[in-house]
Amino acid sequence: MTEIFYTKDHEWIKVNGIEGVVGITPYASEQLGDIVFVELPQKGISFEQGKDVAVIESVKAASEIYSPASGEIIETNALLEENPEIINDDPLNAGWLYKIKIMNKEDLKNLMNEEDYNKLIGV
Amino acid sequence: MSELLNENFHVEKTPLFDFHNQMNAKLVSFGGYYLPINYTPGIIAEHNHTRSSASIFDVSHMGQIEINGPFIMEAMEKILPISFSKILPGKIKYTQFLNNEGKIIDDLMIHRTHNENSVWLVVNAACKEKDINHLRENLNKNFNINIRDDLSLIALQGPKSELALLKLVPGIVGIEFMSSCWVSYKNYEILISRCGYTGEDGFEISVPNKHVISFTQKLLENSDVKLAGLGARDSLRLEAGLCLYGHDIDLKSSPIEAGLKWSICKDRINSADFIGGDFIKDEFRKGPSRVLIGLLPKGRAPAREGTLIYDSNDNLIGEVTSGGFSPTLSIPISMGYIKSSAIDQKEVYLDVRGKKIPSDKVNLPFVPHNYFKKVN
Repeated sequence: MTEIFYTKDHEWIKVNGIEGVVGITPYASEQLGDIVFVELPQKGISFEQGKDVAVIESVKAASEIYSPASGEIIETNALLEENPEIINDDPLNAGWLYKIKIMNKEDLKNLMNEEDYNKLIGV
Repeated sequence: MSELLNENFHVEKTPLFDFHNQMNAKLVSFGGYYLPINYTPGIIAEHNHTRSSASIFDVSHMGQIEINGPFIMEAMEKILPISFSKILPGKIKYTQFLNNEGKIIDDLMIHRTHNENSVWLVVNAACKEKDINHLRENLNKNFNINIRDDLSLIALQGPKSELALLKLVPGIVGIEFMSSCWVSYKNYEILISRCGYTGEDGFEISVPNKHVISFTQKLLENSDVKLAGLGARDSLRLEAGLCLYGHDIDLKSSPIEAGLKWSICKDRINSADFIGGDFIKDEFRKGPSRVLIGLLPKGRAPAREGTLIYDSNDNLIGEVTSGGFSPTLSIPISMGYIKSSAIDQKEVYLDVRGKKIPSDKVNLPFVPHNYFKKVN
């Protein structure tokens, strides 16, 4: 079963077992506007929860992506290299950024569920 | 709460503020004014629409200044490196206010009007106050400096601008690039200036504040015309290689370094009889120590303002002053200063988040200008 969690910095993580898929929320995508470049982490590198792991550049500015959980990068979304605008088109699915092997599932307790996140963005 | 109050005190609204909100604009504060960064279509769509059709930008934050008095042109020539004898009545000239060291206080448009006792200036919003001070310090008190904040300013930019404007004011057919005229529209007067900041043909139109919303709506009745925000204005001017004050030019840069030598009247360089003239003459003769160039970083990562520039031996040779993504070319583009001694280097390196990105040096503009040329 897949569960989805959110950070206050507008990342999401879909968790299935010890694997997580990370992306940015539709709200973040809309705030950033047209995305023109994504810098993704290398496979095999480990990040701590809350550390900057990727950069998304919109026409306006560069924004850092903070890892929702600690763990090792196991895959990145290669399609984004040539077509970063996929994130704007489908931020919750096709626009995913990277997959992570979650080191400690306790990390997820620091994140928000959908209801709390929607409250944060005032939906 | 106190922050909010501060904001309300310092950030002004243009007469189009309510209209922008109605049109779902995303507003930001810029140069002391709330202005749209973009509307619903987004920056890239607004940018592309301007290049292919026509867009309206609210540029009412800019300062429109009328100066009146006998011999005003002679007085302005003591301040600016231009010659009114080479500017016909009704023509507009791009120029800069310089300080005593030949550095740029602001860049501006000056209109020679059909009245020999009057000139018209359009200056940057954030520089209005220091420009007025500069004018007061250097013009005697007989001249009347009139800030025309009774007028809004909208820019209509893009290849279909003339057709769109002709539907409202047929009288302006064939008006030359870099010229202006007052015309009647309905029961009021508007100033139409054929110029802009996008590299396209277009107009800046001064409209009385109380009429500017209805005038804008009238232009928007034409399906070729859409609204565009500051985001598109910035990417358009960057593609056109046009300097933005506070970024590519400022009190640390001279017009010679910034590639604006063309805007200085040649005769005035020798006589050097304007503010900053001695420095400009000297720099013109010796050559500047740094120059503004265009850069094409390899790959897709934009190299933004503040990015450091290195040569192939890892020597620091300069800094990016404007950089972003070019919607027209679909690649990142940057402008920046490099030391004149490094000008022959074929390739330079931009430090983007610790990675040295090889970049080609290119001449500006990145996208050719598409200004109106009169066919006789």
